[in-house]
Amino acid sequence: MIVPFSHVLLLAVILFGLGAACAVTRRNLIMILIGVEIMLNAAGLVFVGASLKWQHLDGQAFVIFIFTVAAAEVAVGLALIVFLQRRTGSVNANRYNLLKG
Amino acid sequence: MRTTLFLLIFLPFLSALLLAVIGRRLPRRMVETIACLAVLGSLAMAIIAFASSGQKGQVVTLLPWFAVGDFSAEMSVYLDPLAAVMALMVTLVSSLIHIYSVGFMREDEDYVRFFCYMNLFVFAMLVVTLSDNLLFLYLGWEGVGFCSYALIGFWHSDEVKAAAGRKAFVLTRIGDVAFGIAIAFFFIITNTLSLSSINGQAASLSAGMATALGILLLFAAAGKSAQLPLAVWLPDAMAGPTPVSALIHAATMVTAGVYLLIRFFPVVSLSPAALLTIAIVGTGTAFFAACAALAQKDIKRILAYSTISQVSYMFLGVGAGDITGGMFHLLAHAFFKALLFLAAGCVIHVLNEEHDIFRMGGLRSRLPVVFWLFLAGSLALGAIPPFGGFFSKDYILLATFIHPEPAYKILWVVAAVTALLTPLYTFRLFFMVFLERPAAAKESPRNEQAVRPLPRLMVWTLWPLAIFSLIAGLLNLPSMWSGNEWLARYLSAVPGGVPSLTALPDIEGSMEMGTGLLSIIVLGLSYYLYRPQKFRATPTPGALPQTLEQLFFYGFYLDRLYQVAIVSPYQRISRFLWERIDEGGLDRGFDSAGKLLPIFSIGLQSWTTGRLSTYLKMLLLGFTVILCALALGWYPW
Amino acid sequence: MSFYSGFFYILAIVTGIATFMAITRRQALHAIVYLIISFFGTALLFYLLGAPFLALLEVIIYAGAIMVLFLFIIMMIQIRPSSQSRGAALKQWLPAIVLCGIAFSLAAAMVFADPATPVPLTPATAGPGELGRFLFQQYWFPVEMASFLLLIALVGALYLGRGEEKSPVQQREKAP
Repeated sequence: MIVPFSHVLLLAVILFGLGAACAVTRRNLIMILIGVEIMLNAAGLVFVGASLKWQHLDGQAFVIFIFTVAAAEVAVGLALIVFLQRRTGSVNANRYNLLKG
Repeated sequence: MRTTLFLLIFLPFLSALLLAVIGRRLPRRMVETIACLAVLGSLAMAIIAFASSGQKGQVVTLLPWFAVGDFSAEMSVYLDPLAAVMALMVTLVSSLIHIYSVGFMREDEDYVRFFCYMNLFVFAMLVVTLSDNLLFLYLGWEGVGFCSYALIGFWHSDEVKAAAGRKAFVLTRIGDVAFGIAIAFFFIITNTLSLSSINGQAASLSAGMATALGILLLFAAAGKSAQLPLAVWLPDAMAGPTPVSALIHAATMVTAGVYLLIRFFPVVSLSPAALLTIAIVGTGTAFFAACAALAQKDIKRILAYSTISQVSYMFLGVGAGDITGGMFHLLAHAFFKALLFLAAGCVIHVLNEEHDIFRMGGLRSRLPVVFWLFLAGSLALGAIPPFGGFFSKDYILLATFIHPEPAYKILWVVAAVTALLTPLYTFRLFFMVFLERPAAAKESPRNEQAVRPLPRLMVWTLWPLAIFSLIAGLLNLPSMWSGNEWLARYLSAVPGGVPSLTALPDIEGSMEMGTGLLSIIVLGLSYYLYRPQKFRATPTPGALPQTLEQLFFYGFYLDRLYQVAIVSPYQRISRFLWERIDEGGLDRGFDSAGKLLPIFSIGLQSWTTGRLSTYLKMLLLGFTVILCALALGWYPW
Repeated sequence: MSFYSGFFYILAIVTGIATFMAITRRQALHAIVYLIISFFGTALLFYLLGAPFLALLEVIIYAGAIMVLFLFIIMMIQIRPSSQSRGAALKQWLPAIVLCGIAFSLAAAMVFADPATPVPLTPATAGPGELGRFLFQQYWFPVEMASFLLLIALVGALYLGRGEEKSPVQQREKAP
């Protein structure tokens, strides 16, 4: 017997919270992206645990898609960061406030 | 009959409406023609109604008005001999004055507004005259008040004139409150708003109720007719154009009060106390106004006080229990007072808006026609036999004298004295204006060459009025003089009308002789006191000691009393309420409450920093809120 | 199985600590390294929960490709570590701490209110072949879409990273 599903869930919530804290708090754009990655990872953990609980493979299939999306998003996000760094010389999130007002 | 009455009342109204809407785009002649034709049309309808109405009154419903629940009010009309003769007088005088106004307003650009209001006034006055439904009557009552206000303050750019209009409106409004209360009482007691039914049920009123209603109606009438205590607006109302003074403040609106009392005579006459009060008010006001007229300098103010005095006679007539005398004097007074006002308008026009009689003089040679017309009016007003005013005033004095109550004898004495004051001030005015001054006294700054030409219309319309005022006595010639007492018999079917006063012929005869003789003596006295040679001594010859002169000139300081006792405290209170409470308290309170809103929005502004971290925080916040909602709503705690 | 549950808890602790270290580092490079440790832990957790293929994929794709990409970019753009005082750091972290604390306590409450909580999972394993067959039979369309998505991301990243273009006038001037 492995652990109850609720423990898996709780671990995933903790990881998700850590990722959210990182994305919300850090000023560096790269650190924000890292927070997003952590969150996606935690979601994948939930899916795998659920797949084991219900004895279905759908959860695992979905994790593959999560990986795919994470990869695509990281690629584009980092390309954006590089672009921004070239344009404005800063990757501080506070520097970009054109939407102010 | 229905069409006739409808046209009679509504022709002026439709004309006013037409002029109000498109009057400014029409040529001047057309506007004047429409206005005059409307009133002349009403006159024609009034003649038809007069000719075809019988002795019994009839109620005719003209238009449905409104209905709420099971209460409804119609525009209905009660045509009895009283209303017929009054409508005839109103339309006749109005027509002549409208035609006069065409000449009077010749140089004024605002004629559309003037004629519109005049027509509206005629409509409202006819409603008052003829209406059966009390709410319709109130509509007309208020309408005449409003038109009076609008026309007194016609030249509203002058603050003094506008204030005079306001004063008139406020004071008549005070009376209207009493009228409204009376209408409410009528409705509660008799459950109907029809004048004829109320008069029919009059016997069912208790004595106390009848007294109360009588006093309320008296107060309302005192407002409209400028009796004490609400008399102070009429002298100031002379700020309006002279045709307005002639129409509204001589012939029609000021008589509406008396007319109201006469219409409600079955109710009023149930209470001897009310009748006595009416008589006392009438007599007191008559004396007060006659004294005040004796010291005035403005020609129109003299005539205004004279109007107050003469209307008081009509009140006295009603108070003495006889409506024929009141109506007789009303009709005669309408003619000669309108004549006097219009002739005064001619004089003022010619002398370039000069109002002070001590600056006039010698107009006999310059305006001979007006001289004779004014003389006719003055003779009628002064009750010099055998002209119009003599018979009517005498009728009232007779009715007062033969009244069974002893208090009326005192009233008779006062009224008789006032009747002798009347020719005194009338001819004071006449001699001052028209007779030649001695050359030494002609230092008035009036420029001899600066006189304006008189439009002929203004003079021609005076002729019918002059003729009527001279022969008005024929309306009700006593049988002693082989007259047929036509008016008394005509009104005998109306409640309160008696076919002939039950007086002994010799009382009647001696009284008439006495008053007639005394009037002529007073005329002579007036000539002696105010003849032009007196100008050598003083520029403003007065026959009274200085203190009395001042007292009379200021109208016994009644105006000042009201100002100090009522108007000033009221203005102070309203200023306090306005500045401290309304602007300071309420406005500032609302402003401060309104300032709370920017505080909120500034607080909200901190969310729109444009920074990524803020938005991410908001996302997390939203996520937490959704989680809370799920937790609270989903789980069975 | 006590061994499995013990292993699970150890891995959970390691992963949690590694993630916590990752998010609190000043230098991004250090954060990446800690994150790689965290992903290794997650991969092992996947294996424990019966998805060995996914564990493999986690290491290859996530820890291998994505984190390495992060490293490349960090080194390329040479970010400096953030210089902030301690006090400001707390004020910066406070909203996140509060909100995450609320979320966690709510989640814990929800989890423990479930009557089916203490039931442990039954262990099972899905081999790669099994997973593959399942994936390409039930979810073939999303697989195709995922590949399309990757193509789009590739094109986007290429476009964004292509550098500044010279204007046509300058180009014509350069070319004789």
